[in-house]
Amino acid sequence: MGWKEYFLAALFVNIFQMAIAFVIFSLQDVLPLNPQGFPGLSWDSAFMQVISFGTNTNLQHYNGEGLCNQLPNCAALTPGVPGLSYLSQMMAVQFLQFTSATTGICVAVAMIRGFITHSKDLGNFYVDFTRSLTRILLPLCFVASLVFVGLGTPQTLTGYQIVKTVEGATTQATQTILVGPVASLVSIMQLGTNGGGYYGANSAYPFQNPSPASDIFQIFLMLLIPTSLCFVFGQLIGKKRETRPILWGAYALFALDLLIAFTPNLPVVGPGMEVRFGGFFSTFWTVVTTAVTTGSLNASLSAVNPLVILSAFNGMLIQATPGGKGVGVMYMVMFIVLTVFIVGLMSGRTPEYLGLKITARDVKLVMIAFLVHPVIVLIPMVLAYSTGAASAIGVGTNSVGFTKIFYEFTSAAANNGSDFLGATANTPFFNVSTAIVMFLGRFTPIGLLLALGGSMINRKRLTTEAGVRTDSPLFSLILVGSILVLVLLTFFPFLALGPILGFFQGRVNGF
Amino acid sequence: MNIKRELPQNYGPAVRLAVISLVICGLVFPLVITGFAQLIFPSQANGSLVQFHGKTIGSSLIAQNFSLPIFFHPRNDSASGVDPDITVQDAYSQIPRIASATGISADKLQQIVDQNQEGTFWIFGTPYVNVLELNLALINQTGSSVYKNFR
Repeated sequence: MGWKEYFLAALFVNIFQMAIAFVIFSLQDVLPLNPQGFPGLSWDSAFMQVISFGTNTNLQHYNGEGLCNQLPNCAALTPGVPGLSYLSQMMAVQFLQFTSATTGICVAVAMIRGFITHSKDLGNFYVDFTRSLTRILLPLCFVASLVFVGLGTPQTLTGYQIVKTVEGATTQATQTILVGPVASLVSIMQLGTNGGGYYGANSAYPFQNPSPASDIFQIFLMLLIPTSLCFVFGQLIGKKRETRPILWGAYALFALDLLIAFTPNLPVVGPGMEVRFGGFFSTFWTVVTTAVTTGSLNASLSAVNPLVILSAFNGMLIQATPGGKGVGVMYMVMFIVLTVFIVGLMSGRTPEYLGLKITARDVKLVMIAFLVHPVIVLIPMVLAYSTGAASAIGVGTNSVGFTKIFYEFTSAAANNGSDFLGATANTPFFNVSTAIVMFLGRFTPIGLLLALGGSMINRKRLTTEAGVRTDSPLFSLILVGSILVLVLLTFFPFLALGPILGFFQGRVNGF
Repeated sequence: MNIKRELPQNYGPAVRLAVISLVICGLVFPLVITGFAQLIFPSQANGSLVQFHGKTIGSSLIAQNFSLPIFFHPRNDSASGVDPDITVQDAYSQIPRIASATGISADKLQQIVDQNQEGTFWIFGTPYVNVLELNLALINQTGSSVYKNFR
């Protein structure tokens, strides 16, 4: 397939998958496996959620478990805050988590194929999809799911368990134990860098993340495939040294994020954190989850220091540290082409990458791909404030409120999915606006970068490598520098008004 | 490439792939995992429920409400709202209240806390105790008559 055919096939499959999930979300009240009797999702909520899962974002404006925590049954649901049936968790959430992660691997490999010498096309999407799913994701998730069950994550289709508590021996108090098919979801949500949890509290909820061991295992799963894909790049193009700028660049920026996050001090357990993880793993998780744009959380974002939030923003604004499944590598190649171009301009050499001359069209493609991000983050932010949608859900116009709204759209655009707002953002404005942002943030850069890969096919290779060597440590250094300059130039004023201002206002116990 | 010609060619394969992936990822996979989980780890797969004197009284992973002064209390400010653990320091700070409500000596209570302590990885994090297990230990091990209604 050429890039257009490949892109269309990916888009079509994804849209059909999202359409199926939309029907399941909307009709979950009449479909089977709904022991708690949850009502169907409203149209805007279902629309937003299928785009959220279908774009690998996993922003969640609902609590999967409903609000049944201490209720003997789910009759008293808070209106407007939907819960999900077991069928929706399986055939809508887990389903789209698998397919969006698979799509990410496919489009990354397709783009890389364009850079291979003598390649004829970008491959066949249908073949790539089937292979990535059946040979990588399903086997890995099978093992990971059973590990999670062994560590304490439930996996059952029977309804919530109602038990009489210890004090219930005298007071008759009961507790509802919120079980479900959790483990099979947790494996793909972490391995697929999706991040959408079974529960509203995500991986802070003990069933989803029972122990320090499961916490570390989830961090490992998040990093596994995005890091592997850096090596896939060098392998596929037949020049393993070319993995270096992608890998080194990604991990240098990741290290910088860690440095920022841990600057205040080694954090201790505070409100909004879980005792079994402690301050260190809560902070470390928050950096990792944004560095690979997973978006799962093991602590409340409101609990962490503003500098940790700043570090999280860095991950989501760069999207290549090492970034989401597949798209992380694509973004890094985008930054490399930009850097090669800038270095070429400064040194007066013809810009070239892998022996390929970088043309004006290539630079236009990567520039547009880069600029999509600020456009779809900043415009809806302005709308959220100017239409009163932000104040309608109780978000203020101070550094805290600004950070929350900025984070919401950054997370949506970066297909990350962590957020401050959660179910409070289940309003038509936030559902529709974030849905549009997520869709554009996913498929525009993928289309543009597939076009970049496609245009490399049959391009003449320069025999004498006169350009800048991209496998040297110096180039990685310049790459990191130019990424920081590009991203900071674009977003610094907004970061300054949000987390940086929050830090200087002394909001050390978070927001 | 002619878009008008290409578009319809994708409808068939795209719909087929969407439906097949739905069945595999959304149905077969979670059901197979459920089967294996129930077979290999039945206790964990059903929510790590705790049996106490023949009755199911909760889950070791989910905090339950303790409000009587004779028990250790969970925290209610955590991210999940059902954090089953408290730090050892937190447990120590509750010892005077429990000692005065039950008449059990502070030394004995501290001993029970220490026995139930769970470690974290190396220097990362603070030692903690599971509140439910701690309270069950109080009921079982102290022999105090204040707990007789809870056995």
